[in-house]
Amino acid sequence: MEYILTMGVLISIFVILASSYNLVIGYGGLASVAHPIFYALGAYGASLLAIHTGIPAPLAIVFGGLVAVVASVLLALSALRVSGDYLLIASLGFQLGILQVIKNFEFTGGAGGLSAIPTTITGPLRTPLFLLICLSCAVATVWLVSSIVHGPYGRAITAMRDEELAFSALGRNAMSIKVVVFAIGCGIAGIAGGLYAFYFQYVSPEQYEVLQSAAILTMVVLGGMGTTWGPVVGAILLIAVPQGITFLNLPPSVMAPLQGIIFTTLVLIFLFVRPAGLVGNIGKTKSAQDQKALPEAAGKGGAP
Amino acid sequence: MTDPIVLLQILWTGVATSLSFVLLTVAFSLTQKVTGLWNFAQAGFMGLSFYVMYWVLNDLQLPLAVAVSAGAAAAAGAGYVTEVVGLDTLRARKSGNLTFFIFTLILAEFIIYWLALLFGTEPQTLFKSILSPVHIVGGIAVSNWDLTAFAITAVMVTALWLFLGWTKQGQCIVAVSDNAKLAELYGISAKRAYRMVAMIAGLFICAGMYLVGSRGGVTPNSPMELVLTATIATLLGGMGRVFMGALAAVVLAVIQSFSVLFISARWQALLLYIFLFVTIVLFPRGIRLPRRRIAGPPARPTPVIPTEAAQKG
Repeated sequence: MEYILTMGVLISIFVILASSYNLVIGYGGLASVAHPIFYALGAYGASLLAIHTGIPAPLAIVFGGLVAVVASVLLALSALRVSGDYLLIASLGFQLGILQVIKNFEFTGGAGGLSAIPTTITGPLRTPLFLLICLSCAVATVWLVSSIVHGPYGRAITAMRDEELAFSALGRNAMSIKVVVFAIGCGIAGIAGGLYAFYFQYVSPEQYEVLQSAAILTMVVLGGMGTTWGPVVGAILLIAVPQGITFLNLPPSVMAPLQGIIFTTLVLIFLFVRPAGLVGNIGKTKSAQDQKALPEAAGKGGAP
Repeated sequence: MTDPIVLLQILWTGVATSLSFVLLTVAFSLTQKVTGLWNFAQAGFMGLSFYVMYWVLNDLQLPLAVAVSAGAAAAAGAGYVTEVVGLDTLRARKSGNLTFFIFTLILAEFIIYWLALLFGTEPQTLFKSILSPVHIVGGIAVSNWDLTAFAITAVMVTALWLFLGWTKQGQCIVAVSDNAKLAELYGISAKRAYRMVAMIAGLFICAGMYLVGSRGGVTPNSPMELVLTATIATLLGGMGRVFMGALAAVVLAVIQSFSVLFISARWQALLLYIFLFVTIVLFPRGIRLPRRRIAGPPARPTPVIPTEAAQKG
């Protein structure tokens, strides 16, 4: 039972991550893959503050979110000058560079990771309470993202994404919208990082490597980019299914790669079978889905 | 001031070390030039090629030539199959850049997980010993590995240059990289060019991984760092300029080698990412050297190919 509740916590955290990333990439059209680094900054920011000052966990988590916001604004102001593939790779460089910094500093625990994160909730109800908190945060995130994108500001965001030149010609500041969308999405990721750190009480740099970028991106794309429920479905599916083999009691040297193989196989299958995502274009014919596939949602151009 | 011999040694070692990166960068950059793709799946092909060579050499105990042939066949074959089964399908669907990015990255991870499952995560080397006999030339230590690396790189890069410039197939590849649609109008198959490039890249990947694996340990995850280095060199050299990318790989490795004089070795990796970030933000089209103006007759105007619409108009 404890295991299932822990899975619930993990799924809720990834729903927060995927939904916030959907705001950045799906609605904002900002092809950054650095989302895990803001998740990491939130986790490390909250943990270090709690370890060194002993402030309550909720405040530390909010601080973690603020650290992610500040970092995202710094990245946005420099890297959002470029777009498409360039932004994708610049964000990857930013992510790996910050990870390298985290790995090399002693106060962050180095490559071995940061442990001894204070316990905030103790007793037998710890996991159910954490699940409740994380689930509430996940619901709040989905609601917040949905409210933003379905309101007047959301229409401005999608207009900027679809036709930036025309948007700017109307006198609107595309850059400020990009920075705000990016900061909101990354700030939410930072809060997810704080939640993760206080529940699992251990964070390490390897949890935020390139594979994590691919995982979160995949949850959004396979669930349905630019849809409210797509990232939720993607997160649930891609976290829950690979965990199914945990009950086989395989040795860790087999379990970890096997879970990875299941995860990547699922992604490859869905990428070809349902290119528009599990939630995207429900009710449309297959040929219409194929035509729509991803080019519009995932940015203009595409390979030849 | 540091002894000049020490500086020369660092320079030599830096250049020799860069040669494996040069081969991997040529593979990555050539693919990017012709297909327009950042093919991160090459990280998987690198791992596959290395572990096939390792398996044939150490488990099957077959000669080196057989191992290298098997490694080359594995990388070239994987590239070809990926083109035919995966990338062609995505192109036919007119998928977006992100789809290609996800596909290549996830495919790389898929292969890496299989390699981790089959061979474990401990570092492996191609040969039992990675010590190479050393000769002292003018006070500089030159190992047999260095000489092998220079020979392999020189032969392969020259062969590619000759192939692209002097053979019909090579010129077809260049034509597709310049303008695939126009090339197809002239009867050149873009698909064929993409597949050929995938196989050529496989040969370079195998050569690069032979050098990497004969000098140090390789884990299933190592190729991901190698492909990122290739990405940075490709960007620094300027997209579409394969041989400049190779030169950028040398420059990067030399800078990293010299950085030990100023910063701790553990921060060396950070330099690469700073280069990557700064290059994209400040030099998204690569670093271009100013061209010297040569006196001579005025340049001829570029011929304009009339478009279909203009002809109709």
